[in-house]
Amino acid sequence: MNLLTANNITKAYAGGNIALDDVSIEVPKGSVYGLLGPNGAGKTTLIRIINHITAPDKGTVTFDGHPLTQADVEHIGYLPEERGLYKKMKVGEQAIFFARLKGLSKADATRQLKEWFDKFGISDWWNKKVEELSKGMAQKVQFIVTVLHRPKLLIFDEPFSGFDPINANLLKEEILGLRDNGSTVIFSSHNMSSVEEICDDITLINKGHNILSGNVNDIRERFGKGRYTIDFKGDARALMESVESLAGEFLLSDRDKELKQLQLRLNPGVRLHDLISAANDATELRGFNVSKASLNEIFIHTVESNEKNR
Amino acid sequence: MKSKIGLIIGREYFERVSKKSFIITTILMPVLMLLLMAAPALIMMFASPDSKVVYVEDRSGLVAPRLTSDEEVTFKTASLPVDTLVAHGDFDAIVLIPDSVVSGRSVIQLYSNGPSSMSLESNISRQINDIVETERLKQYNIENLDEILKEVQSDVTINTVRTDREGDDSTASAGVSYGVGMVLTFILYMFLLLYGQMVMNGIIEEKNNRVLEVVVSSVKPTQLMMGKILGIGLVAVTQILLWCVLMTALAAFLFPVIMPAEAMNEVSQLQAGTLDMSLYSGDELAAIQGVSLLGNVGFILKIFGWMTLFLIGGFLFYATMYAAIGASVDNVQDAGQLSFIVVMPVLIGLIVSTMAAADPNTSLAFWLSIVPFTSPMVMMSRIPSGIPEWEIIVSAVVLFLSFLGMVWVAAKIYRVGIFMHGKKPNIKDLAKWIKYK
Repeated sequence: MNLLTANNITKAYAGGNIALDDVSIEVPKGSVYGLLGPNGAGKTTLIRIINHITAPDKGTVTFDGHPLTQADVEHIGYLPEERGLYKKMKVGEQAIFFARLKGLSKADATRQLKEWFDKFGISDWWNKKVEELSKGMAQKVQFIVTVLHRPKLLIFDEPFSGFDPINANLLKEEILGLRDNGSTVIFSSHNMSSVEEICDDITLINKGHNILSGNVNDIRERFGKGRYTIDFKGDARALMESVESLAGEFLLSDRDKELKQLQLRLNPGVRLHDLISAANDATELRGFNVSKASLNEIFIHTVESNEKNR
Repeated sequence: MKSKIGLIIGREYFERVSKKSFIITTILMPVLMLLLMAAPALIMMFASPDSKVVYVEDRSGLVAPRLTSDEEVTFKTASLPVDTLVAHGDFDAIVLIPDSVVSGRSVIQLYSNGPSSMSLESNISRQINDIVETERLKQYNIENLDEILKEVQSDVTINTVRTDREGDDSTASAGVSYGVGMVLTFILYMFLLLYGQMVMNGIIEEKNNRVLEVVVSSVKPTQLMMGKILGIGLVAVTQILLWCVLMTALAAFLFPVIMPAEAMNEVSQLQAGTLDMSLYSGDELAAIQGVSLLGNVGFILKIFGWMTLFLIGGFLFYATMYAAIGASVDNVQDAGQLSFIVVMPVLIGLIVSTMAAADPNTSLAFWLSIVPFTSPMVMMSRIPSGIPEWEIIVSAVVLFLSFLGMVWVAAKIYRVGIFMHGKKPNIKDLAKWIKYK
């Protein structure tokens, strides 16, 4: 069952600039969903539409089985890429303010905030003004503000930027913990290794178009299909010449002083056996593996071929 | 949803009211204003100017004996020749009156030691003119001249009493209305710009530190905008109320101290209608009327009632425009050009107000007190002179309706503007945003 579906969303800005063109996504309940794409792809616009901040020109958004309304924003928590808190306001006061905007009572907000502040070890910040906090400290406060009202849907835009590795890890654990407790997470990032680690499904948007969607493992398998790595010693040129008729998309790299690695894709209809024996004849073969594409490669490859095709 | 606007209003309000600067200006301003009002009296009490010594060399012998010394000037008969006196230098001025001063046209020489003052010159020339006039009359040998002169001396005073239905029992002379009108207009002007800009700066700040995006993920942009305007409006109302209370308290305490008992007596006589106006000069009567008017509770309440109405209406109208401007720029510097749209009509209103306070019945004054862009100021300057009430009501209704229209326009600009970064928009862009769905 999907917690959120966006159907055929189109949004154009003044001046004819089309931010989203017929984009659809389906976010399964209890999953972590990655929203990927280069800068200016339209991710933020889509997130704003889901947040009921702007309305789409065309298309519909369904939340928890019904069309999205303003009342639903109480069940959504949003951490924008550009973080912001009122600088002159005290941390505790401010956190209560935002919690009440999301529909929590003052008493509930205070009690739950104290728990979170204890958990993060920041209880002594309660009466500090935000302007006295460092950037990382303010990020923690903002994270708590985002998740405090136990939203059904959490939207994180580049959540790890500005965090040191230790705190980034703490944050990752918290996000996965929230998912395990039933929240659904939309995760927007350029950091592909973090997406690979925590996302179940992804959508890749480029220039307002949905160019790739699906389960992360399926996608990686699909993109890795037909790709192999050959570890070898010897003449790289000789190897490439001998397998040229069997495979393409060569990617050569040095493993260490002697050992080299060639990545390639098997041409259609070619038997794996032929490739291995050709490679074995040309060089001193040290290893042969089925390669799994990284999301990073998939991202770059898909975006670039998408650009070429327009 | 209602309670969310309440939360925003509360945040805006308490953040500002708890600021030190707010508390300090709220307390200091009335004290400063009263000091300013009391300043002339205090200066007179403590720093009366030194009396000037003027030697008189009177060759006609008719003028010198009748010159009267006062606080400003002490006349002395010159016992030494003028040249010697000049050489000596121990004087402020020497007046040389020729023989022919009464008989024919003549010039009187004034030798001044250092810069001569205008008040000194006019004092001397007024006195000498009076004396010469009397002397010339005497040459006609009229019987009982002194009594006749006393009788014909004229000091006309105008005591205005409104006869039409609009006029109430308060006898507001044009001069007093003018003064009250100008003061009210100026206060209004200050409040509109000051608090309007506070709205603008608040929105720019929210936009700059990106907290806005977090807030609008919980409330509608329009709610945030209205919450801010209303919250800051409440701050303005709070400040005015506190000022009223403080000023009244201070005035009640200081008024009897500054005002001589005799004056208060005269005021109560005027209010009772038993004051014999023929005993007073025009200036004195105006002063008594002014004090009486300011002490007239009904008049004050009515004026302040209208004032509050136009202050709120004007604030809402202008603050909404400022909100749209704040939403469309990135920093206060960029706002300068656009806020011209707001400042310009306010300034025109202020300028027309000075004319409208002097003559509230011109058609320019009438129309500009109906048009919402200038109406708060111009109407406020006209009200103390007692214009028909329907005009005030029409003006207020137009103002509040225009506010609603402005909210509609501003909300459209706001919604688009808050997410625009980097580009400095012009009026054309704003117009485009209004049309944008």
